[in-house]
Parts: sequence; C-alpha cells; structure tokens
Amino acid sequence: MVAEAKPLSYVDGTMVMQENDETGHTISLDYTFTPTEAFGLYIKQEENGKEIFMLTPEINTLLKRWNLPDGQGNIFNMSGAGIATYRGNNQPSLWTAFLADYESRRWFLSYEPRFVWDGNIEKSVWQRARIGMAPLLANYNDLNTWIMFQVDHHPAKHDHFVATPLIRFFYKTYLFEVGYSSNQHIMVNWQVQF
Amino acid sequence: MKTKLLTLIIAFGLTAAVSAETIHTTVNGMVCAFCATGIEKTFRKQPEVQSVKVDLPSKQVTITTKPGKTLSDAKIKEVVTYSGYTMGRIVREK
Repeated sequence: MVAEAKPLSYVDGTMVMQENDETGHTISLDYTFTPTEAFGLYIKQEENGKEIFMLTPEINTLLKRWNLPDGQGNIFNMSGAGIATYRGNNQPSLWTAFLADYESRRWFLSYEPRFVWDGNIEKSVWQRARIGMAPLLANYNDLNTWIMFQVDHHPAKHDHFVATPLIRFFYKTYLFEVGYSSNQHIMVNWQVQF
Repeated sequence: MKTKLLTLIIAFGLTAAVSAETIHTTVNGMVCAFCATGIEKTFRKQPEVQSVKVDLPSKQVTITTKPGKTLSDAKIKEVVTYSGYTMGRIVREK
C-alpha cells in the first residue's frame, strides 16, 4: 500500500519503505520471492482523521507488465489482512490497492485506488495519482532526480483533496522523496532494496 | 613446416577455448536504476558470468563470461525474462 515506487524488487531482494505524509506514518518490509510476488509486513499510523493503527501482513503481486522499447507499464495489486486499533478498539483490517504506472526515463505516471475495511472503525476508499518528469536523463551510476506532483483524494480524512509537489532522488537501490502538501504537511519518503 | 602450422592451429584453438566472451543484449522495459539492479544481480548469480555492466541510455547490458565459459541465447533470454523484462538483440564478441 506504500506504492510511490514499485511494490516489488528483484527475486530474493528485500525492500524497506517508509512514508511520512499528511495521511500518517507507514513502514513496510517486503521480500520478493518470485518475479511477480512479494510478501511482507505493513504498519501504518494514520493521521488527519481517525488516528487508526494498522498492522497487516501484505502480499504484492505484479498482475501485468508491458516492456516497451522506451518505457514500462505495470499493474500491481497490493493486499493485506491483519488488525486495526483505534482508541482501544481492536478490529480486523482488510485492504487492497491497485497500482497502474507508466515510466520512461523522462516521464512517470501512476494511479492507485485503495479500499480499506477496518471493521467497525472505518471503511474508506482512497485514490492517489502522480505525474513526474526527470529534468536530466541520468545513467545507472548517477543520481536520478525527478520533479513530481501528487494528488490524493481521501474522503475519510479531514482534507479530502490534497496536492503535494515533491522531489524524488534515487541512486541505484536507494530512493528518497521530500515534498510539501497543500494542507501544510512535510512529506518524507524513503525506500531501500537489498 | 607442417608441425609448426599444426602447433599454431592448436595454440590458437586453446587460446580461443579459454578466452572470455563479451555479450551485449538490449533489454526492453529497463528504464530505471531499480530495474537495472534486478537484471544485474540476476546475471551475476549465473556461474558462467564474470562481470555485468548496464547502460541505461542504450538499454544495453554487457556480460563478460569467465574464461572458457559462455552463455547461450536461451539462457540470456531466461535470465532477462526471470528478471521481469524482455530481451532484444544479442551481439557477441570474443
């Protein structure tokens, strides 16, 4: 469900992702065990609404990939089942999200709808879209820099629509993003694959 | 004269048999460092492979085999596909 970058790495690769933004704080740890599947643990402390804590194992699946001469398109599914806690009320938690993305060396586009069911605490549908451009076309051993713009629509939160301009840096298997949202929150995301 | 010629042919044959091979292949879908890392790591796991170099602008992966070893086209395709990408053209040089 943290899907600013692809939710799978390479076979036998482990991925740690952390996201801190206006929706809360998320950390996930995933191990990719086939070319199309990763399994891991997802933890989120939500903010900007009910302060729900979620802890779920998750499975990330590559449903379809298009390998193009100058780009790549993907459809992923990420799903989890575990527990959600809000003010001492423990409930089962189920969520699923789909991520469609297209990436070339210059452009990045993504769209992600998420469906969350936290028992009697909350049921919600979220949407996130991103567009990005790399001003410089970096090679494999260079620092890659992207300018991106993210829009979130989450009716269950206080601020239903939130826009976040951000800068993404990545070098080999290290990714770092920093942004500032329209509801005045600093976004700091990072991902490491090893 | 015949003996010298034969010796030269055998020596040349032996040198060729133990020399490393350099293979270039283009990979469709390899657009970022994350993609390239997966491909690089999967090739490095192959016992025949000495080194791997990735060039994103040309979408090219250059594999150097260990002396006397080679990688078949089918094996290269298998590695690229297993990494999640599509293999393009292969060019070999000794």
